[in-house]
Amino acid sequence: MKLSNTKVSKRGMITAGVLSAALITSSLLSTVGVAANAASPLKIGVSLSLTGDFSDSGLAAQRGYLLWQQEVNKKGGILGRSVSIKIVNDASSPDQVVTNYTNLITKDKVDIVMGPFSSLLTIPASRVAKRYGYSFIEPAGGGPKVFAEKNPNLFFVQPAATTKGGDVFADYILSLPASQRPKTAGYVKLDDPFAAPLADNIKARFEAAGIKTVYDQTYPSETADMTPVVSALAAKNPDVVVGGTQSADAFAQVKAMIQLKFSPKWLFLSNGASSPLEFPQQIGANNTEGVFTSSDWYPKSTAPGTAAFIKAYVAKYGGAATSIDSTSTEAYSAGTLLEEVAAKTGKIDNKTIIATLHKGSWPTLEGNLSWNAYGEPQGSYLLTQWIGGALTTVWPKATAQHAPVAPKPAWKN
Amino acid sequence: MHLVVQALILGTLTGGVYALMASGQTLIFGIMKVINLAQGAYVVLGAYLTMSLFQWTHIDPFLLILLTTPILFFVGAATQWFLLRPLRPADATELSLLVTFAVALGLEGLMSVMYKTTLRSIQPGYENHSWTIAGYQVNEVRFYAFLLSIAMLVILYLILQKTKFGRAIRATVQNPMSAQLLGVNSNLVSAFGFGLGVATSAAAGAVFGLITPFNPGSHYDLISRLLTVVILGGLGSIGGSVIAAMVMGVGAALVSALSAPVWSDFTFFAVLIIVLLVRPRGMFGAKVRGAL
Amino acid sequence: MSRNGLLRGGLFFASLISFPFLTTSQWLTNMFIFTLMYVALSSSWNLVGGYAGYPSLGHAAFFGFGAYFTAIVFQNSVGNGWPPFIFLPVVGIVAALLSIPIGYVAMKTRADVFAIVTITVLFMAQSLAFNLHAVTGGAQGKGVAVPPFDSSTYGRPFYFAMLALVALAMGSSMYFRQSKIGLSLSAIRSDEDKAHGVGVQVTKVKVVAFALSVGLTAMVGGIWAYYEGFVYPQFAVDPLITIGMVLMTFLGGRATLWGPVLGAFILVPAQQYLSYQLGANQFYLLAYAGIFLVTMLILPRGILPTISDKLRLKKKQKEALA
Repeated sequence: MKLSNTKVSKRGMITAGVLSAALITSSLLSTVGVAANAASPLKIGVSLSLTGDFSDSGLAAQRGYLLWQQEVNKKGGILGRSVSIKIVNDASSPDQVVTNYTNLITKDKVDIVMGPFSSLLTIPASRVAKRYGYSFIEPAGGGPKVFAEKNPNLFFVQPAATTKGGDVFADYILSLPASQRPKTAGYVKLDDPFAAPLADNIKARFEAAGIKTVYDQTYPSETADMTPVVSALAAKNPDVVVGGTQSADAFAQVKAMIQLKFSPKWLFLSNGASSPLEFPQQIGANNTEGVFTSSDWYPKSTAPGTAAFIKAYVAKYGGAATSIDSTSTEAYSAGTLLEEVAAKTGKIDNKTIIATLHKGSWPTLEGNLSWNAYGEPQGSYLLTQWIGGALTTVWPKATAQHAPVAPKPAWKN
Repeated sequence: MHLVVQALILGTLTGGVYALMASGQTLIFGIMKVINLAQGAYVVLGAYLTMSLFQWTHIDPFLLILLTTPILFFVGAATQWFLLRPLRPADATELSLLVTFAVALGLEGLMSVMYKTTLRSIQPGYENHSWTIAGYQVNEVRFYAFLLSIAMLVILYLILQKTKFGRAIRATVQNPMSAQLLGVNSNLVSAFGFGLGVATSAAAGAVFGLITPFNPGSHYDLISRLLTVVILGGLGSIGGSVIAAMVMGVGAALVSALSAPVWSDFTFFAVLIIVLLVRPRGMFGAKVRGAL
Repeated sequence: MSRNGLLRGGLFFASLISFPFLTTSQWLTNMFIFTLMYVALSSSWNLVGGYAGYPSLGHAAFFGFGAYFTAIVFQNSVGNGWPPFIFLPVVGIVAALLSIPIGYVAMKTRADVFAIVTITVLFMAQSLAFNLHAVTGGAQGKGVAVPPFDSSTYGRPFYFAMLALVALAMGSSMYFRQSKIGLSLSAIRSDEDKAHGVGVQVTKVKVVAFALSVGLTAMVGGIWAYYEGFVYPQFAVDPLITIGMVLMTFLGGRATLWGPVLGAFILVPAQQYLSYQLGANQFYLLAYAGIFLVTMLILPRGILPTISDKLRLKKKQKEALA
């Protein structure tokens, strides 16, 4: 039995001491920073989830941010200052995201911070930004709890709160004459802050309109095998299926439907189906036909700057317009908002950004954005449908490229 | 009733896949008393290997298993030889947990670098085909996977029971000291055994990649399921883990189909705890410790 | 306690107490908050995992319990900012009481089975956090009110709260080493049946150690929730937190006073720094796993015991030569 370790603990102490001394010194060095002047680069800090659970979208956001940096610098930067974005990794960890924003603001002394991806990290990150008076333009994380924070520094760069993503689908279905409407509905929802509430919003409107709910279940995020859940759904044979989905689970739902040969007349998936490359890859290109989803951006969008954005994106990353993830667009739009604020006010600092963005409406790739006092955008999403192998806008009518196609054709496999 | 039968079919097929995945882990635990936390990562590695080879050669994924199995065998044997063998016997059981966890992280990192983190799946074109039999849907891939599991388990059984190497393994498991005295090189046996256990993840990975979208992070979900199966099966009993995998597959399918999926995990874990408390060596715990 | 030990402990805490007054650097304070958090966590884990040799993988369940307890009580207001800290003992005591039946039942199993039972407890706790919407907010998460602390010294209260828990955990650890309970635990660790045979109150001692250990863990969880400001089930009841505690204790040296401290002081800053500096490329995980493996192979019993063995060996050799 050995209960004493006196000799060695000294080593431990020394190591710890050396480590803290090193840290303190480096902090002192970093505080001897350079005073910012008009010609110094505009430093922007972003933390993204580049490894871990949310990393795929994190990488898409990274592409958007870096593309914007390149494009804005081509134009000579913002107010003559070149833009330099520092992207750090939070590995999808809530501790790391707090560390990262604290470091960006107090160690690297960036001028501006922008939002993280994933959305679950948005609230802790936005609290750090707010503490130091930083504006917080964020392209992901638009759940009700984010706006319930009542953070006046926050601006969500999508057309509406994420949970309102299904409203357009409800609008479309309820616009149908009663005889053509679905009679029964099934809801299959991922237990997550965005997906399930989105489907619940649709459910509330459908039930109010007399569409009977025949199946309504939530599944946990680790559910790898969706076939048992979908077999229960299929047994009820609803006319319309609303999937509150995020990504992998959307593919798993569709694969299960194909395997169980259950093809509802209308199928709406909140997320996952909006991914232009992954969705056809995962479920088979010929199975996408007729699936509804909602999105904030589409390649044929008429928003100003879209063509230039696509051209630059394809030049930098390859692929085609249809392969651009809307997350990249959102991150890019977060950047262009800064440009617009600078162009309008001739200044670029956090106070100006916050005060300015709260007034008026701001054209971005996401359409014209305007926010309430706590950063909730006041627009609406677009209903898109897979038609002829491409995501096509079908609702609202004003921006529709095509009329909605119903019923959905049977699965091809 | 239709739903119950359909859920039973789905659960049985899924259970077969888990049985395949868990057999390797059980083997490793049986031989070395090592809870291999990297088994899930090896399965994902198997899936990526199969995917790459399939995209390159267009050979059917099920045939590719013949190619990927030896590769993973060597990866596994190397892991044992270079990372686990040097551990001192006194700490081996506990430290191997940490080492295999580090291996899992390393593999995840490696796969993230090589393949990014985009979700992938293996798509030979028939992955979603189903046969309709008397109104029930039987997915082709899952059915083949089920057959493959049985085949692999039979092969594993034959290797352990009928070959000289298998006898050496069993001798080592039952009594490492006397096995060594009888001239069995226990280091070599361990390396072979670990290699064999990891080699099963070639087949498991191919099947996993066919039925589920995956990315390098998928191993976390896999390992928690595999651990459950292995424990329920009695830590080290291959027969037990096969039964446990079937029970889990069918149980999860029934709960998901007939009641609320959100409570299925909770129910399952509660059952697991009760089993562990009543029979600490699992439901089908080997009476003689180490008997495979 | 030896004079040297007292001196060392005094120096350690004196430097940690004075640290926030030496620098106002926010990012350093932040990094130390997370480091101290893991010092406290791994020192608490060490009480059961180290001294008693019961490798609990379920501590994160109690961490999450503390986090949710604090978040739920203080979701609407934290007053002048101090009440959540004052409330911590309640969190700790409730968690400890709650843990008694769990520990009693779980500790009927041993070693690997105990590890599995406890990790299962963790998964059940996470499942409850997801499913008891009315209490926890489910997947939507639960926010804690924002304290009115000044931004320039915002981290300080959290820093000192974590430091207080470090003192509590290390104090318990030291007490374990010097008291009868520590001897009993050591006896249990080396041979439980024999310990029982010679009259050690095995069950009582184990359950008390477990309750103390998870009570401390829950209190750390409470501060964490307050500092993060928002609690989600997958982050509050996270297997990675457990793995962190275990890893740091193993790295520094199990069943030692300073081992968990050293482990945390190496791993947390390294992880946070690597992730911040190198994270933008994907090699971060590889680097982390590499460091991890090398340490395991070179220092299999943890840094402190390995070094102490080497020193002892050298001394012996010297004595033999003399």
